[in-house]
Amino acid sequence: MMIESTGQKVLKVLLYVFLIITAAVMLLPFIWMLSASLKQDRDVFTFPIDWIPDNPEWANYSRIWTQIPLLRYILNTVKLTIIVTLLQLFTSSFAAYAFAKLRFKGRNALFLGYVATIAVPWQAYMVPQFMMLRGMGLNNTHLAIIILQAFSAFGVFMMKQFYEGIPTELCEAARIDGMTEYGIYAKIMLPLAKPSLSTLTIFTFVNTWNDFLGPYIYLTRDELKTIQLGLRSFIGQYSSEYGLIMAGSVVTMIPVLVVFLSLQKYFVEGVASSGLKG
Amino acid sequence: MLRKKEVGAASVTANGLPIDPSIKIEKSRAAKKAELNRNLVAYSFIAPNFIGFAVFTLIPIVFAFVLAFMNWNGNTDMTWAGLDNFKYIFTNEMFLASLRNTVVYTVGTVPLTLVASLFLAIVLNQKIRGRNFFRTVSFFPYVGSLVAITAVWNMLFNPSMGPINEILRMLGVDNPPRWIADNNWAMFTIILFSVWKYMGYYMVIYLAGLQGINSELYEAASIDGVNTWQKFWYVTLPQLRNTTFFILIMLTIQCFKVYDIVYMLAGGGSGALSEATTVLVYEIYNSAFRYWRLGVASAEALVLFAIVLAITIVQFRLEKDK
Amino acid sequence: MKKTIAVLLTALMAVSFVFANGSSETAASDGTTTLTWAVWDYATTPYYDALIEAYEAQNPGVNVEVIDLGSADYQTALQIQLSGGGSEFDVVAVKDIPGYNNLVKAGLLTDLKPYVERDGIDTSKYGGIVEQVTVDGTYYELPFRSDFWVLFYNKDLFDAAGVPYPDNDMTFEEYDALARQMTSGSGSSKVYGAHYHTWRSAIQLFGILDGQHQITDGGDYSYLAPYYEMALSQQADGVVQDYATLKTSNIHYSGVFYNESVAMMNMGSWFIASLIAANNSGQSDADNWGIVKYPHAEGVEPGTTLGTITALAIPSSTNEKDAAWEFVKFVCGEQGAEVLASTGNFPAVTNEEINNIIASMDGFPQDEASKEALNVAQLYLEMPLHDKSAEIEVVLNEYHDQIMTGNMSVDEGLAEMGRRVDQVLAN
Repeated sequence: MMIESTGQKVLKVLLYVFLIITAAVMLLPFIWMLSASLKQDRDVFTFPIDWIPDNPEWANYSRIWTQIPLLRYILNTVKLTIIVTLLQLFTSSFAAYAFAKLRFKGRNALFLGYVATIAVPWQAYMVPQFMMLRGMGLNNTHLAIIILQAFSAFGVFMMKQFYEGIPTELCEAARIDGMTEYGIYAKIMLPLAKPSLSTLTIFTFVNTWNDFLGPYIYLTRDELKTIQLGLRSFIGQYSSEYGLIMAGSVVTMIPVLVVFLSLQKYFVEGVASSGLKG
Repeated sequence: MLRKKEVGAASVTANGLPIDPSIKIEKSRAAKKAELNRNLVAYSFIAPNFIGFAVFTLIPIVFAFVLAFMNWNGNTDMTWAGLDNFKYIFTNEMFLASLRNTVVYTVGTVPLTLVASLFLAIVLNQKIRGRNFFRTVSFFPYVGSLVAITAVWNMLFNPSMGPINEILRMLGVDNPPRWIADNNWAMFTIILFSVWKYMGYYMVIYLAGLQGINSELYEAASIDGVNTWQKFWYVTLPQLRNTTFFILIMLTIQCFKVYDIVYMLAGGGSGALSEATTVLVYEIYNSAFRYWRLGVASAEALVLFAIVLAITIVQFRLEKDK
Repeated sequence: MKKTIAVLLTALMAVSFVFANGSSETAASDGTTTLTWAVWDYATTPYYDALIEAYEAQNPGVNVEVIDLGSADYQTALQIQLSGGGSEFDVVAVKDIPGYNNLVKAGLLTDLKPYVERDGIDTSKYGGIVEQVTVDGTYYELPFRSDFWVLFYNKDLFDAAGVPYPDNDMTFEEYDALARQMTSGSGSSKVYGAHYHTWRSAIQLFGILDGQHQITDGGDYSYLAPYYEMALSQQADGVVQDYATLKTSNIHYSGVFYNESVAMMNMGSWFIASLIAANNSGQSDADNWGIVKYPHAEGVEPGTTLGTITALAIPSSTNEKDAAWEFVKFVCGEQGAEVLASTGNFPAVTNEEINNIIASMDGFPQDEASKEALNVAQLYLEMPLHDKSAEIEVVLNEYHDQIMTGNMSVDEGLAEMGRRVDQVLAN
């Protein structure tokens, strides 16, 4: 059916050239990270950049497990990330349904208020929030981080925008069939919102996984700490172990990439791609 | 033909908006009850998120806003300050500089990131070889540890020995820019970095948005014999309106709240940002945690909040008018 | 109305204090006391455990537990934990003077003077440091570490160049000439004559060593100009590495010294322990090194240098004040000093004996000059105590940066620095 003209072929070649260059630019820091993770600290920041170290310092990858209790930190982070992501997915997709498809009193004002609070920098209310949570006995508990991360306005806003792209006729038809709103949410909206749910999963996962400031303030006991705190502990007052930081960063990036890759398939189901082709 | 389609598409997306308030129906008791019921159902959807959000975020935020009119160091008694904190910050040149820089940063970053991420999403939504690879790679700068990516960026853009300037010198540029070390180039360098770091992130949102477009629209357009560019302009873009709106607002807010990347890129060894690079949240951080003037920090945050709120309301209005 | 709000908010906070205080019970039923001590870099600092072990051996009823708040934002984290008076800490390490000042202003620390007087401790053994942290006639911390700046040099590089080693009595002119003489090579064999780390202390504070000025005074900073001009001209001539490069690339001073790419480097005495450790582990190639006293201006006594102190304080919220004081007294006293010295660190209590312990450490240079360099004549704090020290520090850093990156000329930068510090002082 589709006969590619020479013009299209040229276009395709150009496209690949562009993509490969973009990919290289995006990958550069990761390659540098890999290379730095195999160096001694003093060689990490030398010029000209030595991309392939002569004597790779493989020991960095074993030292990160012994110098700090990295395994425990990873388990803590995994626990927090999974709980936060599940809560975030549920509460956001649930609340967003009301904002997108239901009419109720105070909807617009409430929504605007929700979104606007995203604009308040955390630094401004960190101290009162900390005092409040400490007063509730939540300092040095994982629950504090879960509470802080799980109820964000971001997720609600994002899910609402996606729901609005779903034709309201679907909901109305279901209502006529006698389905409750909860049923419509569970049986109609959620299945259709897979791409956006995947997006929210990825974002929440990454944010919780890489969160530093929250755990830094609330988790001071060693047995509760997370990966990012562990990595940061390699930066000391008088010396910084950059080789170890990079090795740790490489290792802890793997789960994030696994999540990203495994959710990729939800981004290809749309028919839009075939529509744009040719 | 095509225009009709566009209108049809728009009415679908506009469905979520409130119905015309001019229609007023005399409410019977039953209707009132139904309305109450409907409200309750809606609130029950919102409750799980809202209660958590209100207790743990909203209350501290309200508290912080009241603090803007107080003097407080985090421990001893608060005293009433009235508008003193605001008078202080609006005569503080570093705060004013940070306001200016943040606006410049936002104006520079938002459009560039928006266009770059949309372009990337459309390219990577096509059936091309290695699509998953390219998508994953685009997401790297967002996922990678900030310490690592700012470090490598600063090495690449190092004024005297970095590869970028070496290349520029080879190309015959005698005095290549000193990038982050030069007051005149610093903000530009930071914007460039931000676009690079965040385009993959927003690309993911656009990708999800692209999956929601009804393929029939494209098929109909194909039958009409329109070209790729027209399809993009008359089908894809209008269909992505919700997504674009979301990204625009989030991106604006995120830009106004920029802090850590500037601190890591320009703060370097001393951790001090100059008048050329300081941003709002850095000043808030300083007021709060270096000087422990929490009232001043709150006043600064309130200014930031007011600006973003105003922009957001304008954006919401424009969205409705469409 | 205003009053009501203030009272309401205070009440709200008060409620949280009550809760918080209730949860920080430290006395266990079996009579042992647990002291919680906030520190940074626990894993990489050998003396914390050494101090605790020594103390617990002497005091069987006491348990000391360490909480590591990390070094980068230690003071911020500490003050957040203490804010509202509800922390679980009984003893806290205080990292810097601006942080100390903030804690004192917020009323978060216990006045130590009554304890010191009660137990008859002679504070003169701290060599004037206690006077420098005195606020309104009293003080809230006692120093346990006191580091001072010296000039490190690489003997192998001097030998190779056939240049005599620096000595303990060097003026800035002599130092500058020596740095230029020691600069050689290019590319990977380049040797820089000197090295300035990106901290402002490394250059700016040469200017206060004559004792004529306080860096927190504001106004006319032109007395710093000769030192900035020296550093900038060294930078222009390739005698020292480019500041902008060091800063943007996070280049750490230890690496350049370990790699034998600098002949001399002014740095704090904390680097002695790191250097010895790095030489032992093979991380550093600079195993033939020495130290001499800081260069000085004409007419200033050699051994006049900059100091940084690390201190201990007791939060006012703790229920274990007496037990905490006993621990502070131990760590900051002679016994703690010996433990610190045995790990190669400089205690705040200084005397001949302590210097001997450090100088006899394995890996410390064997020449007399290096040992003599440990004798400090006059110590000026990197940041003197001032009501606005945190704000002033930010301004000083900013213009140090502007001058060293060449965004401002020396005169312009110093004039702005003075103007901005004056603004801070006026507010």
